[in-house]
Amino acid sequence: MRGQSTAGLALTSFATAAAAAAIEAALRPDSPSPVSTPVRTAAASRLNGASALLAGAALADSAIEHYRGAFHNKNMILPLAVSAQALGASLYGTADRAGLPSLVRHFAQVLAVLTGVVGTGFHFYNVMKRPGGWSWLNLFYAAPVGAPLALSLAGVLGGMAEWLRGSLVRFGFLPGRLIARLISLGLLGASSEAALMHFRGAYHNPAMVIPVTAPPVAAALLTGATVCPALARPASLALKALTGVGLLGAAFHAYGIQRNMGGWRNWSQNVLNGPPLPAPPAFTALAIAGLAALKLLERER
Amino acid sequence: MNRRFPGYDVLVKRHTPSWNEQTRQVIDARLAVPREPRFLTLEEFRTLEAICDRIMPQLPDRPHVPLAAMIDAKLFEDKRDGYRDHRLPPQRQAWRLGLAGIAAEAQRRHNAAFTELDEAERDRLLSAVQEGKLRGDWDGMPPQVFFAKRLLFDIVTQYYAHPTAWSEIGFGGPASPRGYVRMGSDRRDPWEAVEAGNGDEAKVRRANAHLG
Repeated sequence: MRGQSTAGLALTSFATAAAAAAIEAALRPDSPSPVSTPVRTAAASRLNGASALLAGAALADSAIEHYRGAFHNKNMILPLAVSAQALGASLYGTADRAGLPSLVRHFAQVLAVLTGVVGTGFHFYNVMKRPGGWSWLNLFYAAPVGAPLALSLAGVLGGMAEWLRGSLVRFGFLPGRLIARLISLGLLGASSEAALMHFRGAYHNPAMVIPVTAPPVAAALLTGATVCPALARPASLALKALTGVGLLGAAFHAYGIQRNMGGWRNWSQNVLNGPPLPAPPAFTALAIAGLAALKLLERER
Repeated sequence: MNRRFPGYDVLVKRHTPSWNEQTRQVIDARLAVPREPRFLTLEEFRTLEAICDRIMPQLPDRPHVPLAAMIDAKLFEDKRDGYRDHRLPPQRQAWRLGLAGIAAEAQRRHNAAFTELDEAERDRLLSAVQEGKLRGDWDGMPPQVFFAKRLLFDIVTQYYAHPTAWSEIGFGGPASPRGYVRMGSDRRDPWEAVEAGNGDEAKVRRANAHLG
């Protein structure tokens, strides 16, 4: 049964990727683009950098948390495999200067999106099957409902990079706005997750407020910049600050692990039990993607 | 032999991250408890050893839990529980009265010391104490209350405070500093004992040899 669902997932994602590639191929010839190819290639490369960081964070996070869950459900190995191949595809994308879309990479990214969605379903099921169902307690302590969407988001950013290299742009579609708004949504989602988990931690350190307040501000400015060019500058500043927030957050979480009994010497307990080390860099990844989107917006005008 | 957790010895965790210096000091002190009485008289101590053998019989193939010595240490240091049944005097006095009462009952019934009785005689005598069916007067202390709240309590708590008992029941020892991360029911942390079942003893024995 599980083998079938895995094969089904792989088949569906392959079919979707093939369809996307076919649409791309059909649209490819000769439509003029308002944004030059080098600019798009550079933006695609930057988006791939962001998607690589996000896929890497999803890989580390799912590896740690699903090991903690002892891979009780055999499918818990899937996000590790899928985020690893999405990470590979995104790294390949950052290095690819040819500026052409790749079917292999696109397939990898679509698989990441689908796995994230299916994982969200599994996590929702895990919350609902516990006594009390949809309750604060289970949202805090059961499988985190929002976490798998980080993998989807990595796939979306990587898929956007392929679109930028491909035909949707040549067709006359302006991707900057869509990408900027999707990233804003991603920021709000990641911030909600931080709000839930930091509320569980009772905001015992004042710095725990930062990931709950800074990302929504950056998201608002980024979305604002899609309609009001004057907001591009403040949005850029906010996103640059947010790249630092993600790294600072990882440092704070490392400090949080140290504060647990035994500290880093007792790492095999505290990396699992303490604050999640790979979670904050998601903000850095989204901020990098947001900056790439701002560059595109600027060129599209 | 430990059939439920084959090959499991909680003491192999001594030099792993599961224990720290404080853990080692506490367990070392517990294992090194003096085997000779410091509070009880030698006669009282022998009686207590004989009682412990009947209440908590121990298998010969495990490290022996020196129950009488552990209780004597508790009395010597006068480490109290922080509460007591109001019908009993403080622990030192209660044990003195209780052991004297049991010795007197053995004399009255068999004209012998408790340690000279056979197992059936010891069990009958202890049952009488448990049921409060004694003729003697224990200075106003009800024997059945002493049996339930002092004698059983101290023997059982001291037994399960010993690493031999932890290995027997698959207990991981102090949850400090490591603690647990898999909180769901029937989920085992990698440093917890593996339980055998369905003829997988050999595999479980290997797994239990490498815990930490």
